[in-house]
Amino acid sequence: MTDLIYLYCITNRMPQPKWDGYGVYSINHQGLCAIVSKVPEDEFGEENLKKNLSNSEWLTNKACRHEKVIEEVMEDGCVVPFKLATLFKTEDSLRAMLKEHAEKIKENLEDLEEKEEWGIKIYCDMERFKKGFLKEDKEILRLDKEISLSALGRGKAFLLKKKRDQLLNDLIDKKINEAVQEFLSGLKQQSLRTRVNRLLPGDVTGRRDDMILNAAFLVEKDKWSAFIREINVLKRQYEGTGYIFGCTGPWPPYNFC
Amino acid sequence: MGNDITTSKDVALVEILDRVLDKGVVISGDIVISVAGVDLIYLGLQALLSSVETMERLRCSPIAGPMQEPT
Repeated sequence: MTDLIYLYCITNRMPQPKWDGYGVYSINHQGLCAIVSKVPEDEFGEENLKKNLSNSEWLTNKACRHEKVIEEVMEDGCVVPFKLATLFKTEDSLRAMLKEHAEKIKENLEDLEEKEEWGIKIYCDMERFKKGFLKEDKEILRLDKEISLSALGRGKAFLLKKKRDQLLNDLIDKKINEAVQEFLSGLKQQSLRTRVNRLLPGDVTGRRDDMILNAAFLVEKDKWSAFIREINVLKRQYEGTGYIFGCTGPWPPYNFC
Repeated sequence: MGNDITTSKDVALVEILDRVLDKGVVISGDIVISVAGVDLIYLGLQALLSSVETMERLRCSPIAGPMQEPT
């Protein structure tokens, strides 16, 4: 049975080994340590890998192991983390990659020294927003009043209702966009770099409210408490109006490599 | 008013997958073998996040992590 080489991350400090049971070791090249393990080709080879990735138990297990190994390496120094199932045919092909990209990886590692990634996900309770506008917005109230007039024909009422719904959606969009800009500008001030990622749909997050911001921030290690403080300032200011804040970290700098 | 952002590290699997599956050099749904002359097999899994069923059921066990309440 053939093995493939699974790459977790690259670091520039030889980490203390602490991965019992995972068969993790390092391949070193010009001051870089690639943290790897051997994995069976019949589990990670092209065909079976596709099958395994749709097996939630397998995926959970491998994703957690991937993250855990990288977090342990992070305890000893900064890392360039790789994606789940980054695989090489042989140790030599990995060495060839290290050789080819050594300078770039070293620059990346130097740049990440004493920094860490924090993740922010902000959600919004749309129903709550809607109710607010329905009760308070003058134009919406005026349209609702007109719609409720019994003298209106069905066709006219339908068109007015459509107009009202469009207006309501526009108002909500505008309000959320303004809030997102404000969240970003506050958090940018407390971080070095920002990456805004795509929003995850409700069937992925398992939440009923809508994700309105999914972002990663690169923060200096000794300034993380100022970053958290800023989130809490925003949270206190906004949570009463239907926003829900989620913050996780510190993460390997997946978004900044 | 709710509490301040809590700082536990019981992170949902979706947080991990959001990072380890979805980034730059991927080709959706495909496996790229031999990128730039190296025998690298890189996975494109953009399609996966939305196709994994009942993601919310999946929770990783807590990851050892350093988060603490800011002072």
